Amino acid sequence: MTIRKLKLYSAAAALLAGLGVHAATAQTLNVAVPGNDMATLDPHRASATLDKNVINWMFNGLVRTAPGQFSLDTIEPDLAESWTISEDGLTWTFALRQDVSCQGDYGPLTAKDVVYSLKRAASPETSSYAGDYAAFEEITALDDHTVEIKLANAIPTVLGLLVPFNGGSIICEAAGEALGENFGRNPVGTGPFAFAEYQSQQYVRLIANEKYFRGAPQIKEILFRYLGSDSSRDLAFQSGEVDLVNGRFEESWLNRTAQLPDTTVQVLGPYELHQLHLNMSQPPLDDIRVRQAIAHAVDRAGLVAFRGEMLTREATSVIPSGYLGHEPQDLPEYDPEKARALLAEAGYPDGIDLKTVQTTLPAMLTTMEVVQAQLAEAGIRLNFELVDHPTFHAQIREDLSQVVYYGAARLPVADIFLTQFFDSRSIVQTPTAVTNFSHCDVGDADITAARTELDPEKQKALWADAQRKIVEALCAVPLYEMGQPYAWNNKVQFAYPLAGSLNLSPMIDETTRLAN
Amino acid sequence: MLGFVLRRLGFAVVTLFAVLTLVFFVIRVLPGDPTVVILGDQASAQSIALLRERIGLDRPIWLQYVQFLGGALRGDWGTSLVSGRPVIGEILNVLPHTLELTAFALVLGVAMGLPAGIWAAVNRNRIPDYVTRIVSLLGLSAPAFVSGIVLLLVFAIVLRWFPVISSGQSTDLWGKLRDLTLPALNLALIMAAYVTRVTRSSMLEVLSQDYVRTAMAKGASGTAVVLRHALRNCLIPVVTVVGLYLGILIGNSVLTEIVFNRPGLGKLIVGALNQRDYTMLQGMMVIYTLIVVLVNLATDLVYGLVDPRVQYK
Repeated sequence: MTIRKLKLYSAAAALLAGLGVHAATAQTLNVAVPGNDMATLDPHRASATLDKNVINWMFNGLVRTAPGQFSLDTIEPDLAESWTISEDGLTWTFALRQDVSCQGDYGPLTAKDVVYSLKRAASPETSSYAGDYAAFEEITALDDHTVEIKLANAIPTVLGLLVPFNGGSIICEAAGEALGENFGRNPVGTGPFAFAEYQSQQYVRLIANEKYFRGAPQIKEILFRYLGSDSSRDLAFQSGEVDLVNGRFEESWLNRTAQLPDTTVQVLGPYELHQLHLNMSQPPLDDIRVRQAIAHAVDRAGLVAFRGEMLTREATSVIPSGYLGHEPQDLPEYDPEKARALLAEAGYPDGIDLKTVQTTLPAMLTTMEVVQAQLAEAGIRLNFELVDHPTFHAQIREDLSQVVYYGAARLPVADIFLTQFFDSRSIVQTPTAVTNFSHCDVGDADITAARTELDPEKQKALWADAQRKIVEALCAVPLYEMGQPYAWNNKVQFAYPLAGSLNLSPMIDETTRLAN
Repeated sequence: MLGFVLRRLGFAVVTLFAVLTLVFFVIRVLPGDPTVVILGDQASAQSIALLRERIGLDRPIWLQYVQFLGGALRGDWGTSLVSGRPVIGEILNVLPHTLELTAFALVLGVAMGLPAGIWAAVNRNRIPDYVTRIVSLLGLSAPAFVSGIVLLLVFAIVLRWFPVISSGQSTDLWGKLRDLTLPALNLALIMAAYVTRVTRSSMLEVLSQDYVRTAMAKGASGTAVVLRHALRNCLIPVVTVVGLYLGILIGNSVLTEIVFNRPGLGKLIVGALNQRDYTMLQGMMVIYTLIVVLVNLATDLVYGLVDPRVQYK
């Protein structure tokens, strides 16, 4: 190579390098999530995790879980400074902070805005969570900074419905009215970050809300990017184009990412509970011995070893641990011999065949393949009907699967999980159906009584009874709990320990820093 | 020629109508509907029923079809069932990104494939021919998501010449080129392989013709013979492949768009299919059909430019 050519090549390389990698300013936090696009950023409408992830940084509730925490035991004031409860527990009065402004030019937040927002959350016309607020009989502004909520009957958690999650996120009336149907594309809240821009299939850009009542955020901009390809999302994190990434549900991802320099890897809560729902309405699963056989054939420890011990832990009940009212249960031990004996006793010495509608979503399919192999040891043959994910959701609700493998996290109160999965009113293919795939009804009385029980201890006892009965009847076989894998560059500095967040993204607020 | 174009456009309308009808019914036969996506998996049967009523999914399918056709004729493609945003707006938002990517890929594909094919043909059964054939076979066999990751690893992670996120945000020319180069190269690889192989075989055939031998005999240089006499005559099959392939490129862009994190039609259609977003899928099918029909028409017209013997009746 001649000197001249060498010079030419070096110049070209320098030019390309100069053009090269995005050098994001220190003030911009780049976040990447798996997914293609945003659906809506209206907190009362949004149901997709990706949408909730970004809503998390824009809104406040009357109360909130402590920063970095998701347990309802940590509830503390947010927009409300304090609150009082009437003796019958049915009237709640909230005194609001007086220094809160709506983002943009929508003025100060007053009690009128809170009333508007909660009524909006309670209306099926404007909210996907209207059902949660059915007991909110009257919501009134007593003065500019006092809100009163009257309940028709006691409900398991009032404060849980007033944290900035789903319907609890407070929207300013002027913005809600001015933007109407377009609110989901131009959300306006009171939180540390304000919506600035949305680029279809690319990103949502948030900017610091300099008027935030707890102080102006130190991070000035958040680029929330939709990067659908797992591999290139990892590469973007590796190249430094992304500071905070929502990872893959794989132990190997956690291990590999933890090897990168200056990187923190953490599994955040709340944990999803994965279980097998057994359709008790039809043979052979209507026989308790067959369900017991399945429960004894499942090796929970083996599943946790397969999915990884950083990401998952063994399930302990039919609701996730850490939920208000969760009570660990004695789950059937792994014993394939006993499983075979039970099957023989039930009249199936040659084993049984069960139809399972199964999604092809890789993380769920691989787990079920392991379960299939475990059950086969005991002579229980799971015959998969493999379908894409939307078809899976449709067919399990049409009662077409004898065994339904489902993973879920909910507002961390026992009532919601128990009601949706085990209350007979939620049985699929009924007018009030939700996700009771097993046709379970053994916990009905306790679940109903707990819902309106005012004494917290009695309420917990009722929930514990419901869990015990559901486990004994084996409506479902709990498998494991799985958290949210996240990784971030150590430039991102959180001011408090992170356990997780209800909206499944780490809380980024006025205290979060981006070091140079 | 005008009559030819008009007649072809007439056929296009019939094709569009047939595709629309087919798509309308096929996506509704698929199990699953958008309501669970919109309301989330905690929705009760009641709220799902309410929503089905609100967005009209409870009406008889023929009525939905008539209403849809009526809207389509008035230019109203409806709003996305999932996001509530106008379908046409969503498509037009991302269409330029896909067109830009495919156009650049097309140029790169031809720019790489044509010379390689000629080079292989004139060096038939010698080392350059073998090398070209093996490389083009590799190009044909490597799926876009594998070649894409390899390109990213080499050029974005090791050499750091290009960004991993080619999101097409830059407004200046350099920025645009930087965002576009790797994805376009990735998309162009398969096309270049096709073009190479077709050019090679077409050129070999032309080179065996009498007039080429005559040109050689009168003493013209090898380069002049190939470029001035043979090239234009070997282009007809190449134009056919390029035309056919443009439609395929637009369809194939989905993997490249996802791997390189670019917005585009491919990402939109995958999302719409996963969410059973009927209105969006319908709108997208119209766009895809239109593109394929127009590209085919353009290909037919290019024949005339390349070969004066082609006449349009």
